[in-house]
Amino acid sequence: MWAAKIKNQPMKKLYLLLVCAVLVISATAQEKPGGKKRKKPSGAYNKQNNENEKFLNKQWWLGLKGGINLSNTTVLKSYSVISRDESTGTTDKKYEDFKQLGSQVSLEASFYISRFSLSFQPTYQHAVFSYSNKYEWTGTGTNNLTLTYNQEQKVEHLQLPFIIKYEFGGNKLRPYLQIGGYSAILLNAVKAVTITGVDNASGGTNEFVDGPITVGADDLFANSHWGLIGGGGVYYNVGNVRLNLDVMYKYGMSNITSTENRYSNDRLAGVGDAMDDLTLDNLAINIGCLFPLRFLENGFKSLDRK
Amino acid sequence: MNSTMLKKILFSLTLTSAAFLVLRCTEESNPKFDTESFTHIYDDEDFNASYLPIDIVQTPDGGYLVLCAQRLDGSNFTSIYILKTDKAGKFVAELKGSAEFLNPVGRFTQVDNTFYFFCMDQATVTYLASVDAELTGLTTTPLSQQLTYPAVSAFNSTDGFILESFNSEARESVISTVSTTGTVTRSKGYGIGVGDDVDEPIINHFIRTGRKLPFQVGKLPSGQYFFTGFFNYTFSLVFTDIAADDPLGTVSGTQDDAGYSAILPLSENKFATATFSFGDNYFMPNETIPVAGDTMEFGFNLPELVPNANVKIHRATIDTKNFIVYASDTKTKQIGLFFYDELTGEFLNSRYLGFSNPFEIANLITTADGGLAVCGTTYLAGRFPRICIFKLSKDEVTSAIK
Repeated sequence: MWAAKIKNQPMKKLYLLLVCAVLVISATAQEKPGGKKRKKPSGAYNKQNNENEKFLNKQWWLGLKGGINLSNTTVLKSYSVISRDESTGTTDKKYEDFKQLGSQVSLEASFYISRFSLSFQPTYQHAVFSYSNKYEWTGTGTNNLTLTYNQEQKVEHLQLPFIIKYEFGGNKLRPYLQIGGYSAILLNAVKAVTITGVDNASGGTNEFVDGPITVGADDLFANSHWGLIGGGGVYYNVGNVRLNLDVMYKYGMSNITSTENRYSNDRLAGVGDAMDDLTLDNLAINIGCLFPLRFLENGFKSLDRK
Repeated sequence: MNSTMLKKILFSLTLTSAAFLVLRCTEESNPKFDTESFTHIYDDEDFNASYLPIDIVQTPDGGYLVLCAQRLDGSNFTSIYILKTDKAGKFVAELKGSAEFLNPVGRFTQVDNTFYFFCMDQATVTYLASVDAELTGLTTTPLSQQLTYPAVSAFNSTDGFILESFNSEARESVISTVSTTGTVTRSKGYGIGVGDDVDEPIINHFIRTGRKLPFQVGKLPSGQYFFTGFFNYTFSLVFTDIAADDPLGTVSGTQDDAGYSAILPLSENKFATATFSFGDNYFMPNETIPVAGDTMEFGFNLPELVPNANVKIHRATIDTKNFIVYASDTKTKQIGLFFYDELTGEFLNSRYLGFSNPFEIANLITTADGGLAVCGTTYLAGRFPRICIFKLSKDEVTSAIK
């Protein structure tokens, strides 16, 4: 969907400004140059038809949607509490991408005009991602110990996405494509560390699990980050109501971890954990329902032309 | 300007403002944060490896050198190991000494661009050892006068090194001044007393099979010297001029069951001290001890510390505020930092470092950026002794002393 992740800040800023430009142009593209309103076709419709056309071409929608998401991380810079001579071993983390389900719920407010919609969708998102570190100590004979630190992060953000949608197809079933950007504000974060191990140094094989150690981790995450959005979906118009199946990919553009507080949690640092600098992507699938706000009256089908 | 145009302008301004707000608030990597505050544990995948850090120094490039002892197969003594990190605490290089030179002791001292410490050979004869900041090699210099069993050293620009050592044949605690070329300029021994009971804990200290004794040596602002060590059957604080046969004064402990676990001269007769007594630990951040000697006084009881805890006292200043940091080992297996006002002795704050694995203090220093670097031992997986460094930023330290 997106090209390789852009990591330098000037390019990120350019991306954001381009998105803004697209939003502005799209929102104003429905009028002719010079700001003059589009002329109505003379004599093409009677007065009622003109009113219907107005209604159909310009509408506010308000609704709710919710669903699930899967997270993917991209490491910008790796960090570790446990440091080794790199010639003898690595301390890199192993991330599990698109494995753990999160959820989200959004309030959607959209302004529709001639197949384009400008949409603001404040979203509560709960994302889950995890990684593990594996350490092994070996000695003579059967003297060896393997420890795996499984680190699970549960992060809650208030996301503020601005999205442009383009609808096409028929009236009953209307697919659409969407593009936009979002800003996210950290609400809450929790980390849980579970240690699993295999100890062959005590005269036998002992497999064990310790934990999880669960700690609040708000300080370890950035207060805000931003990203781009792309995706599509489909509306199913039922009377005045639009049912919505929506798929969007949120492509994180800035670091979600706190660079200043990376080692501030003694409990986590004590078990060898330091968060990498990373961006967070989300594949989100939502279902929802939208209601028209303008000219809502009995007997009128919002987009379902007779 | 009609309302449509106004709406468009407002809309554009809103979006642009939102974009700039988002960009302004995003978190960007900052190398400064990486160096200001970090925690690192230096691991070795060798099951049998054992690292026992002694002291830490900061190098001119902002990195760190950690002087360690490393257990040797087939020897009662430990060999030399030095770790070099960059300013963010990341592993850079290491220097592993051979079995020829053993028992490295602090302080690890920078003089010009060379870092010095004392060690001994297999015959327990003391050497002055040195490395450069890049760990290109270990240089050992025999002393001009034979001293054995080096225990601890300090440095000042007037005397050079002040070394406390143990003469097992004469059964003396020996205080000497040594130049950076290894010349012993002054030396004086003080009898520990007769009988195996007296030197047994000393030997156990050196071969690390017994309790680690809190040997310490230094110079007072008034020009006299002091050391903590065995004198006349007890672990004592002894004042000396390294000339007279008898000490200038002593503060006696109770054999090896009570004594000073750390001492830091503040002014002529003022000291920040820590004492141990039959397992209990006490801090006294503002104690008056006359050079002529006195009876040992106790201060605040610290029941959270392990029995007869290893204690380090560090003096520091932030923004004209002088404070003292006591660092010690807690029963919760953490490194406890206890901050006191130097002027009043008032307790300011505490902070505990480490979790899950056991952590023990080795030493702490003030860093060039005004923070603290705390070096210690952690036992990874509860069993592998490894070096750890906690770097606290100046802001963290400042908030601790407010």
